[in-house]
Amino acid sequence: MTEDHFLEPDRDPEFLEGDRGLSQDQRAELGLGALVFVVVGLLVAMLVFVLREAWPSFAHNGLGWFGGGGSVDQQIQSLFNSGQYKTAPNYTFHAWPLIWSTILITFGAVAIAFVTSLFVAVFIVEFAPAWLQRILEPVVRLLASVPSVIYGLAGVLVIVPLIGNHLITQGEKASVTPTIQLSGASLLAAVVILTVMIAPIMIAVFADGLQAVPRGWLEGSLALGINEWRTFWKVAVRTARPVLVAGTVLATARALGEAIMVSMVSGGVPFAPNPVDGLIFFFEPSQPLAATIVRNTEGLSSPALKHTLYAIAAVLLFSSAMLSIIGWAAKQPMRRYGVVP
Amino acid sequence: MLAVVVAMVAVPAAAGATTLFGSGSSAEQPIMNVLFKAYNKLHKNIRFNYLPDGGNAGVTDVQAGRRLFSINTRPPLPSDAGTTYFKLWLDGLCIAVNPSNSVSNLTIAQTKNIFTGVATNWSQGFGSNLTSTIDPFGRNSTAGLYTFFQQAVLGGSTQSSNVQQEGSDGLVATAVSKDPNGIGYVGIAHTGKGSGVKTLDVNGVPCNQANIKSENYPLFRYAWGVLPTGHPSGAVEKFFDWVRTSKQAGQIINRGGAVAAFNKK
Amino acid sequence: MSAVTATRVRRSERAAASWRLSDRLGLGLAWLLGLLFCAIAAAIVIYFLVEGIRYLRPNLLVTNPAAASSESQTGGFLDPLLGTLIIGTMSMAIAVPVGVGIAVWLSEFGRPTGLARVAESAVEMMAGEPSIVLALFGLTLFTLPALGVLTQSTHGVVLGQSFFAAAALLSLVGLPLVVASTREGLQAIPSHVREASYAVGKTKIATTRRVLLPAARPSVLTGTMLGLGRVISDTAIVLLLLGGTLTFQAANSTPLLGLLRGTGDTLTGYIYYNAPTGDGNQPSKAYAAAFVLMLFVLALNLGVDLVVSRSRKAVTWK
Repeated sequence: MTEDHFLEPDRDPEFLEGDRGLSQDQRAELGLGALVFVVVGLLVAMLVFVLREAWPSFAHNGLGWFGGGGSVDQQIQSLFNSGQYKTAPNYTFHAWPLIWSTILITFGAVAIAFVTSLFVAVFIVEFAPAWLQRILEPVVRLLASVPSVIYGLAGVLVIVPLIGNHLITQGEKASVTPTIQLSGASLLAAVVILTVMIAPIMIAVFADGLQAVPRGWLEGSLALGINEWRTFWKVAVRTARPVLVAGTVLATARALGEAIMVSMVSGGVPFAPNPVDGLIFFFEPSQPLAATIVRNTEGLSSPALKHTLYAIAAVLLFSSAMLSIIGWAAKQPMRRYGVVP
Repeated sequence: MLAVVVAMVAVPAAAGATTLFGSGSSAEQPIMNVLFKAYNKLHKNIRFNYLPDGGNAGVTDVQAGRRLFSINTRPPLPSDAGTTYFKLWLDGLCIAVNPSNSVSNLTIAQTKNIFTGVATNWSQGFGSNLTSTIDPFGRNSTAGLYTFFQQAVLGGSTQSSNVQQEGSDGLVATAVSKDPNGIGYVGIAHTGKGSGVKTLDVNGVPCNQANIKSENYPLFRYAWGVLPTGHPSGAVEKFFDWVRTSKQAGQIINRGGAVAAFNKK
Repeated sequence: MSAVTATRVRRSERAAASWRLSDRLGLGLAWLLGLLFCAIAAAIVIYFLVEGIRYLRPNLLVTNPAAASSESQTGGFLDPLLGTLIIGTMSMAIAVPVGVGIAVWLSEFGRPTGLARVAESAVEMMAGEPSIVLALFGLTLFTLPALGVLTQSTHGVVLGQSFFAAAALLSLVGLPLVVASTREGLQAIPSHVREASYAVGKTKIATTRRVLLPAARPSVLTGTMLGLGRVISDTAIVLLLLGGTLTFQAANSTPLLGLLRGTGDTLTGYIYYNAPTGDGNQPSKAYAAAFVLMLFVLALNLGVDLVVSRSRKAVTWK
């Protein structure tokens, strides 16, 4: 460690002046810059690698990869068997039911969580009595870090039987058998548990952002005679809009990538739920993209299925990357006002 | 703190110890672990490291030379070229229903009808007290148990889309135990007193160890040990022999919920 | 989430405000949802606490897992518990220095701007990455012969599962949290502090090392603990990259390195294996392990609270 010769320019090695070849700052900048470069390089390498492994599946199916057609289950089986029985790999795969399921579950959970989280965050920051606030904050943080296996178990042991035995009527079950089974592991179960999972994240981010709003702005509004609810809503929430977007994006990325919990409660059948079915729509089983990967990790030994799984991973990678960039971009306006969330 | 951690962990690092690397079926992992431990007590310099990545992945591992042996629960296929399969012990696939269901026996044909979506209601001649829709639960399409079920019961057809696919036997048993209309197929280890499910007779034969051993129960299957055909490990071959024939291994297998097939009594 | 330092305007000091019905309804809804959220959260946490307490016995924490046919002989979860601690320590040991370094570079240097923007986006992207994708990548990365030293090899083929492999991927999970938190801490320091230090003649890096980082220490700690919380709760990477052996299986007899190059298990893997999701068929032990894991997470969160509240009592920059 360099000795501390503060205010002794002749002996202070950390003093700016002095001819030591590359100055300390330049060395530090190069060193840290190299570190950043390596980490970014690693991430780029990961992207490239996943895309390269995924390419055969995309190349064979083209844009039809994202479309519908055929039973995903049978396609997965034939991909798997082509490794087993050494037949020529047929990369046919139409992931639409998986994509549709992902869209429904993710956006359903995010929509409900957004409304709930916004109200709860407003409540925590402004309207809750101090004692309740002190309880809620650690609780929110604790919930945000509960492992997903535990949520999945809570779902399988409690929520799914609850829905299956008490919410779904016999008539509804009879009307769809034998195409699908309404057993409780459904869109509703997945959305409910996923909402409970991502709400704490959103609440934490929203609360942080709402607190960063300068108090002077709120007090000014209050001084004008506007009640607290309106003040908070019109001034703070509006100012914190970029934070709301950022928090939503973060939660969406988490919801998109949640594989283990969702695979346990969403029904495990690659089926595209049909809104036209009315109430039954909420009880229909499905299987989103991330859950499909988790379900089929045993299939990595079959080359055709391996490429398909990597293709699914590539889609997930790309979506979460897009979301993260949107979230980052949304935070910028708030910085303009000097309000750093 | 690291020193404390290292001291607390009793790592058996005997001089000259060999580690035999295997992989394969995750369903058989509990029994394999007990067998490994017992074998290690007899031969202190042999240790095992088993990765439960699935029966099919295990065979690929052996073919690629990544692992010395693997355990699989399905018979050999043409794609398993370069490996040799050895029968180790017997296992059975039970059909389980919720205890509130009075059904007690199904034929293979009836089971096939249920899981291919031909029969959809409990009132369709199964002898059940229920009149509700049937809720079938099964395994996902890459699971070894599903492959066996497909061959043995479905005659090669795929299970119907109304069969809810679960990721493990435990989840199938849980689903059936919580749904009065449920029916599912699980390995014999997931039936029994604490499981919450009731097993059915198939073709009149109850699903228990005695009937599996005598091969009276129709849904029996073997657990296979897989070795590379060229240069198999001598140590593993000795281990497999011990598993197949020794009395101690037989006891372990029986207690683990499978059925010892070739072991001395 | 920083603690609220409520400087709310007292009721008596405000001008009399009028409340419309919609406003009252809105407030009522906020209260309702707030309490409903508490109720659901409490239900889940209490369910697992109760189940955990029911099945947790102290000897579970200190007994190694053993392979046995009956549940009374299968031992406890000491190895998975230690595995969680090891994996947490290792991954944060990588994530914290790298994360702080990146944060310092982004906050204090940040040239060329192109690289800075790419780096920011890359770190944000990592934050939202599904861990199953990371696990898939790790599977193929660590079977490369070049990285064979980090895992074990038999007969010239690299196995690819070990504590090193899992920790490397998990550090990517914890990294974004460390970066974000440290950056926040560094940026919260007013510029006059930096200027004062430069005015005295200190270099930028010396300023960072001696003035800024110590001041931002609470943020670094917060980021570390948040990252640690995420790392120990992860299941997907552990399932694919740690080998899933009941007890530690060291690669060789070298004291620490052998252990880290070998396979093992963590609490999350143990829970997954013994709950209905796996084949271990010992749900009571799974609940006990889940309880212990939640205690860890709770302790970490309380730690974050403590650090944040203590940092508020520290000297401010006015």
